[in-house]
Amino acid sequence: MENIDPSSESQLHIRLITKQEQYAVPDIPYSVPATIDTIGLNTLLNALLKEHSDQHKKQEFDFIVNGELLRVLLVDHLQEYGLSVEDIVTIEYIQRTPPPQPEDALLHDDWISGIQVNGNWILTGCYDNTVNVWSIHGKHQASVSGHTEPVKAVHWLIPEDPSAGFATVSHDLTGVLWHWEPGSKEIHPCIALRGHERPIECLGINTERQRIVTGGWDTHLKVWSSSLEHDTEEPAHKRFKGMSSRVPLFTLLGHKEAITSVQWIDTNEVCTVSMDHTIRLWDMELCGLKNEIMGQKAFLGASWSPLSKSLITCSADTRIRLYDPRSVEGTICKTTFVSHTLWVTAVAWAQHDEHLFMSGGYDESVKLWDTRSPKAPLYELSGHEGKVLCVDWSNPKHLVSGGTDNSVHIFKNKKTT
Amino acid sequence: MTRKREKRKPPKSISVVERHTDIDEKNEADEEDENVYFNTIEEEDENSASDSELEDDSDGETEKVLEDFVDEVNSEEYSDSDEHNEDDNLESANDNVNKADSVDESESDNELEEDDSYESEEVSSAPESDSDSDQEEKIKGPLKNKQLKQQSVKVNNKLSKLHQNGKNKFQNENKEFPSGKDEYADGDTSDEEDIRNTIGNIPMKWYDEYRHLGYDWDGNKISKPEQTDTIDNFLRKIEDPDFWRTVKDPQTGQEVVLNENDIELIRRIKEQKIPDVSFDDHAPWIEWFTSEVMQMPLRKFPEHKRSFLPSRDEAKKVSKLVHALKMSWIKSEEERRKEKAKKEPQFYMLWQTDDQSEEMRRIHKHIPPPKRPLPGHAESYNPPPEYLFDSRELKQWNKHKETPWKRKLHFVPQKYDSLRKVPAYSRFIKERFLRCMDLYLCPRAIKMRLQVEPDDLVPKLPSPRDLQPFPTLLAIEYKGHTDMIRTITTDKTGQYLASGSDDCTVKVWEINTGRCLKTFKTDAVVRTIEWCPNEKLPLILVASGRKVILINPNVGDFLQNIKADEILKEKPQSEVIVSDRVKTTVRWDDPTEEEYEKGFRIILSHFKEVTQVTWHGKGDYFASVMPDGQNRSVLVSQLSKRRSQLPFAKSKGLIQCVLFHPSRPFLFVATQRHVRIYDLVKQAMVKKLMSNSHWISFMAVHPGGDNLLVATYDRKMLWFDLDLSTKPYQTLRLHGTAVRAVAYHRKYPLFASGSDDGSMIVSHGMVYNDLLKNPLIVPLKRFQDHTTDNDFGIFAVHFHPLQPWVFSAGSDSTIKLYSN
Repeated sequence: MENIDPSSESQLHIRLITKQEQYAVPDIPYSVPATIDTIGLNTLLNALLKEHSDQHKKQEFDFIVNGELLRVLLVDHLQEYGLSVEDIVTIEYIQRTPPPQPEDALLHDDWISGIQVNGNWILTGCYDNTVNVWSIHGKHQASVSGHTEPVKAVHWLIPEDPSAGFATVSHDLTGVLWHWEPGSKEIHPCIALRGHERPIECLGINTERQRIVTGGWDTHLKVWSSSLEHDTEEPAHKRFKGMSSRVPLFTLLGHKEAITSVQWIDTNEVCTVSMDHTIRLWDMELCGLKNEIMGQKAFLGASWSPLSKSLITCSADTRIRLYDPRSVEGTICKTTFVSHTLWVTAVAWAQHDEHLFMSGGYDESVKLWDTRSPKAPLYELSGHEGKVLCVDWSNPKHLVSGGTDNSVHIFKNKKTT
Repeated sequence: MTRKREKRKPPKSISVVERHTDIDEKNEADEEDENVYFNTIEEEDENSASDSELEDDSDGETEKVLEDFVDEVNSEEYSDSDEHNEDDNLESANDNVNKADSVDESESDNELEEDDSYESEEVSSAPESDSDSDQEEKIKGPLKNKQLKQQSVKVNNKLSKLHQNGKNKFQNENKEFPSGKDEYADGDTSDEEDIRNTIGNIPMKWYDEYRHLGYDWDGNKISKPEQTDTIDNFLRKIEDPDFWRTVKDPQTGQEVVLNENDIELIRRIKEQKIPDVSFDDHAPWIEWFTSEVMQMPLRKFPEHKRSFLPSRDEAKKVSKLVHALKMSWIKSEEERRKEKAKKEPQFYMLWQTDDQSEEMRRIHKHIPPPKRPLPGHAESYNPPPEYLFDSRELKQWNKHKETPWKRKLHFVPQKYDSLRKVPAYSRFIKERFLRCMDLYLCPRAIKMRLQVEPDDLVPKLPSPRDLQPFPTLLAIEYKGHTDMIRTITTDKTGQYLASGSDDCTVKVWEINTGRCLKTFKTDAVVRTIEWCPNEKLPLILVASGRKVILINPNVGDFLQNIKADEILKEKPQSEVIVSDRVKTTVRWDDPTEEEYEKGFRIILSHFKEVTQVTWHGKGDYFASVMPDGQNRSVLVSQLSKRRSQLPFAKSKGLIQCVLFHPSRPFLFVATQRHVRIYDLVKQAMVKKLMSNSHWISFMAVHPGGDNLLVATYDRKMLWFDLDLSTKPYQTLRLHGTAVRAVAYHRKYPLFASGSDDGSMIVSHGMVYNDLLKNPLIVPLKRFQDHTTDNDFGIFAVHFHPLQPWVFSAGSDSTIKLYSN
């Protein structure tokens, strides 16, 4: 390949295409200097668009060359991927994801280890054994202290329906299903999930099947019913802290170390990641192990996207990895995202975009990623002053994260299409 | 003799007799053979001459002798009984003959006993002929002439043989024997008669009943000679002057008169002299083999074969010499002489320089000194005028007086009319000296310098990249203690970390988040803590001051915590009487109400400060170390029975650290300089490891149990392979300051060490199952994140029980987790 001197005025021929029709430009080759970067291409594209329609407002675009976002000079990008500079380079452009705007910070009494947004309500689990509900506008709605140990994960039972209640799991070996009427200050514990032998670390809920799966330090994956109705009328003395207790429907054994995250892939499949370096897929119909993927490092968190049908995991080695757990051939790890400097403990897919996800790590940063840009995140959302323990992007409009600085940071995402 | 007699005899003889003569012949031949060695040639000639003489004479006088002989035969009977009584002389002579004969024939002894006849003994030694039984009947009457003759000859024969037998070992003088003339003078011609023993060598008593004695040629019986009675004998003794020398031949029963020679012989034998008269026992001694070195030594044995074969070695030498002669490398004497003759005058190279000389070539890689340039015109005594300095050049030359090496020429060319006007060169000596100095000081051989790259000296170790996973990243810091942290430990699942600090607290942390979950306050500085390896007993063993406290941290499985509490509440009732020695050492206490609330479950109060505690792998026994406790410094306690014992009666030194073997009932005890391994079951020392260092600080045992890592205050780490030797398998000098902490990973082949300079080094320590393969030790990574305080750096290192992560705790009151 030619080694082009950046100072020389060599020209490249490019072709600009897009899938967003409102920003389409004529499909003709343009000649641009080889050293053009995103800013230059933006100027060019905006000029072209302006030629076509007068109403065009200046827009920021991102350019995808060879499936990856252009972040350096075009010629360097081509060199890195070994593409010829003689041919016409096809550049796809997309509207740039707008930077999330910091909106609010919700101050708690202790570390926040679990968070989930449902509509306008933010549910947080706290190290001071409390579960809190906040409105998205930063108003503390309700708080309850039902657990005796730190709450590790929280999950709404039905997305888009806060009235259905939520589930929390804690280090006190129990999970609790809570009933909460939106707007009320009272949270009622309904059912205690008792069966784990060691602290519970994570939970996942499948609404269709009304199932909860939990995993923890006893390496067991336990499946429970998520219905809020009491199974049987129990005598009052058998109740656990005023709740009727529920035992797991079944227990799946297989992991050798703590399960750090469970994700429902579809109604029949659950994916777990564990500290024992494995990702396991479980069949919920047959109650058995379906597939096992060996990783390199201990997994600390994972998130499944039904849009892109892939799993992102975060490990103790500062990397975020994108897996396609269903593929059986080739490398199962598709992409590795490198930017964090310390452990990454939480990742969450965007619910509206198959390319976007966010991550939070011990380096006190929350990052917004595009899967097409593995070397650098789109945005770094600063604000945390401690380790980030949990992130959530269930509501496309809001990116939330909680950490050891006792605060939940809310970032507003403008573009939600 | 016999041979001649044979010829004379008619060829009548039957085969049996023929055979006999053969034997006779042989005997004689044997005798002759023997004589060859001893007789001189003349003697033999004489002998043969006398033989023939004897033969000739005997023929004529046959009849004359007959009568005498008959008398002799008759007288035999008389001599039979009384002979030995009356004639001592003869008896003794006979005796002597017997003695001489008995050497050869043992049979004669038997005969002597049975027959009681001396005569028989005399002739028994003579060769005997086979008996011809056919003749038994025929001879009964008086003996025929011929027969008598035969018998007398036979007797004589035998006597002559007796002589020979007596002296054959020494010599015989046949010159005088048989003295034929004397015999014939006596009228005894009995030797001419061919009388022989016809019965063979059988006991004579067999013929006692018969009147005959064997058979003659014709098969007729040979009648016994007439038996004489004692009166006859007596009469004969008076009458016969030869009676004293008459003996009876036992073979034939006839009487034989011994001649002078016989008498002499017997006498000599009796006197114990050599029977041979002629033998000179004072003859001059001929030294055949002598100690004196002779010019041509006489040797009896022949030369060895090899002395006749040409030597191969010599042949080689000779061929070399021949070759050298051919190539004219060596010169023959003649040639040399010739050369000498035309001797030429010897020259040597006057101007030969040492670089040309032969001996310089032998110096290996010799560098010849640089050659001096040949003198040019300027050096000439009469240089052309253009070489002479003009005033400007001279000025230039003089200008460089201080810096003579800048001059073009080191001298000023001078012009002389003739060579003899050239004066002596004033600088000659000086320049020679300088030249010599140059040559002497200049190295004249190429010095071989060893080209060693520093990289070549470093042992080939695998790249750390290939030895992953190992911790590389400082992941989490656990902050909360207010003073330096001396010790850390983790629970078995890898969820919790506990630390003990100089701020008298024990803290329990959540590993993955760095959250401090619990804090336990104690009364004194916490020296060591260790989580119980038994999962069912979630207890932390804490050594704080003089107390060893078992704390239930109440984290993790609450059911198990409650169960453990219940177990500990039940105090075992044991009948065993605790000895005073133990009683004064330790006291098991129950915690007070307040302490129980804090989580304390059992408190052991020791008599001295406890610096270290360690669990046994099963989680029932634990050991505590009190370095000041003298011979009570190591205490082993059993939790289930709440009992303590002091395993050692004697103090072996200041004990630094003890450890239980992970699988076997061994206890490692580290004193300042040695590590001793005790078998707790056999109550005996198994091994003593020589640390070769001054002060051991800490040690860790490989989970396999065969390798021990010892940290020392003198900056070393010692890896002991217990199967290999009692000396360190490897000494690792990775740290610049005292090493205070070492730890092995339970699953991964990793070990870590922390030192006072605040650095922790993680190394790869692979132990192979193959006993022949030594452990592989590769230092992997150095972490320098702890700040030193008061010259203290890292106090404790500990590996995550499951992940390849490592914790380090130091004097900066933080714990750091390094993950991969």
